[in-house]
Amino acid sequence: MTGAQAAGFTGREADSSAASAVKALQGEGRHAEARERYAELVGRHQRRASRIAFHYMRDVAEADEAVQDAFVKAYSHLSSFREELPFEVWFTRILINGCLDRIKARTRRERWIAPMPDGPAGERDFAERVAGRDPSPEDQLLARERRERLAGALAKLPERQRSVFMLSHYEGCTSREVSVVTGLNESTVRVHLFRAIRKLRTLLAEGHAVAKVGKRRVHS
Amino acid sequence: MSILNRLRLTGHLDDARLTAIWTDAWAAGVRQTHRHLESCPACRARFGELSSSLETIRVEAITEADESFPAERLAAQHAQIFRRLEAAERPARVIAFPRFAQPLTSRTSHASRWIAAAAAAGLIVGVGVGQLMDLRHSLSMQPAAQARVAPASVSRGLDSRIQAVSATRDEAFLSELDASLARAAVPELRALDAFTPRADDRPR
Repeated sequence: MTGAQAAGFTGREADSSAASAVKALQGEGRHAEARERYAELVGRHQRRASRIAFHYMRDVAEADEAVQDAFVKAYSHLSSFREELPFEVWFTRILINGCLDRIKARTRRERWIAPMPDGPAGERDFAERVAGRDPSPEDQLLARERRERLAGALAKLPERQRSVFMLSHYEGCTSREVSVVTGLNESTVRVHLFRAIRKLRTLLAEGHAVAKVGKRRVHS
Repeated sequence: MSILNRLRLTGHLDDARLTAIWTDAWAAGVRQTHRHLESCPACRARFGELSSSLETIRVEAITEADESFPAERLAAQHAQIFRRLEAAERPARVIAFPRFAQPLTSRTSHASRWIAAAAAAGLIVGVGVGQLMDLRHSLSMQPAAQARVAPASVSRGLDSRIQAVSATRDEAFLSELDASLARAAVPELRALDAFTPRADDRPR
């Protein structure tokens, strides 16, 4: 067993005991104590949840709201949490469903409402960000382009492939965990991951080629 | 063409096979050894390139997310979550309707309220009775009006009689007028009367 796996097991045990304690305290009506105990769980999973939400939403404010909603929902539905499932997996499922609902709502909104053009505020924000960091502005710009290309490629993946790729590769979930979160069986998860990687590499290679051609045109 | 055949023909693993090896290793959760990869430095290098590109993607994505959620933002998020939980558990507060300094009802006594009600009732009754009377009056007038509408022959006879009566009355009236004029004993007006032309004096 690796150190990370051992740490994971310890974390899971701690999660399970904390979740059980919160459930018991809620049942007894000791809400203040239940909240205090729940703070442990929130603290342990907050960063990971924010990452997942951000990868789905690609918007900080929306990701923030999705994480808040998921923690509030998990707390109020803790009575339906079964101890045999890791809290992390159960919570991730709530979070991803929330993110997918938000994406659907956003798509509906965007269909009817014209997006705001990039104003001077966005430019200023970007300039501040570029000026305030250690790497050079050029490095920042290149990193930004790379991230945008990656996000664009990821957004082109079908929903299931994207979920499987993000959970398995970004969050380091095992095939069983991904299977529980997504509701797919393990062999299907493997197929989705394989297809996601193939498609992502093709899309990134295409994007890279297009960017190169564009740069060459600008220079000539 | 199967992967095995392709491998036999080219002697190297293609991208799909390398991806499948990477996926299998992830699913197994341990680093797996592959016979061809162990013996072929070119394929091993390509597999290494695939693994490192996927690792770069992972690091890039995680760095971006972590930069978007600095510690202050996470702290604010934590606080907001617990504010919401606390608010959800607190029983709903009923906001009292704005009260007046003095209740409006205390200003009016019961007697004045009764007077207003009686006046309103009286008005309603009066209007009702008035309408009823008007209705009864119009109903009673109906037979008289019907009686006035007589058959055509009767009305023709009546007309001729009325005309005869009116002609005799006119004659009598005029002669009475003449007589009264003749009797008039106002000497001051006689001269004036003599000058006034008469209907009879007009040439025919």
